[in-house]
Amino acid sequence: MEKTEIIIRDNGTLTERTIQERDLKAEGEVLDELTADVTRVQRNVLVIPDWGVAHANVGLEDTIWSVGIKRIPLKARFKLVNSVLVPMFASMTDLEMPMVWWAPPEVRLVFVVRTTLEDDFVTIGGNWLFAYSKDNNGYRLPLPNLHDECSLCTGEFEDSHTTAQSALTASLEQFNRSKWNADLMRTVAQSQQFFRFRPTNETFETLPIVAADWTNLCDKVGTALMDRVIL
Amino acid sequence: MKKITVEYGVDSITKQVESGFTFGDLQQCDSFKAALGYGDNTKALVNGIEQSRTTVIPDGAVVRIETAANTKA
Repeated sequence: MEKTEIIIRDNGTLTERTIQERDLKAEGEVLDELTADVTRVQRNVLVIPDWGVAHANVGLEDTIWSVGIKRIPLKARFKLVNSVLVPMFASMTDLEMPMVWWAPPEVRLVFVVRTTLEDDFVTIGGNWLFAYSKDNNGYRLPLPNLHDECSLCTGEFEDSHTTAQSALTASLEQFNRSKWNADLMRTVAQSQQFFRFRPTNETFETLPIVAADWTNLCDKVGTALMDRVIL
Repeated sequence: MKKITVEYGVDSITKQVESGFTFGDLQQCDSFKAALGYGDNTKALVNGIEQSRTTVIPDGAVVRIETAANTKA
């Protein structure tokens, strides 16, 4: 199809412009290549019982799921220091306890799962744990079993599922039952300022973080995957 | 001298650097590290492509620093 336009320029000149249009027969692969980096954000896609709502960033190759969580299960060894229970991840002798650390409002925790679709099965391609500050910067918590880019060393579990809901639930269940050991551990001092508990009559209360700014106890993180995390 | 923009997370900074300043220099530079908060384990990308540490950063470049993956010791 050909279209002719007459343009009146600012200086009064008349210009003729001829536009030719034709539909291109783009094959699927061409369209896929052109849209390879295009992702779509879908909020509130799934509810994971006991954890929260999952948002999805859907790409051509994979889906990045973000679940805002309020707590971190800390099945690890602990020691009572001045009436405060603190983690001793590398210890072989201190008491192992299934503690639950509740995040204060200023620490926004996001559990992230990458899934791919393979032969009609939803396959888990990794789990990450990020802590976000109010200014939307992401941080690595002072925890072992967490790589520099915040991927979790979860141990092995079933990674192939029939639904995304099942894949996310399995990832969070593994996160819930995993023991925190000394793998990828740095200094425990920062962990002990961050994760603190006070024994009460029946349970343990999460104590405030011992730092004016909690981010000073963490490492700032920046990765391509974080561009797809939905807060 | 040349001007470069460096991004890390949601923060960015634009600064003048020496003309021979490389991506490796940037990854080790204490002033950029302090301003943006990145550590030692990083990679430098331009338009999504990872750059060699020895390559000189072009004038006007926008460099994105990302945290690199590490492995268990």
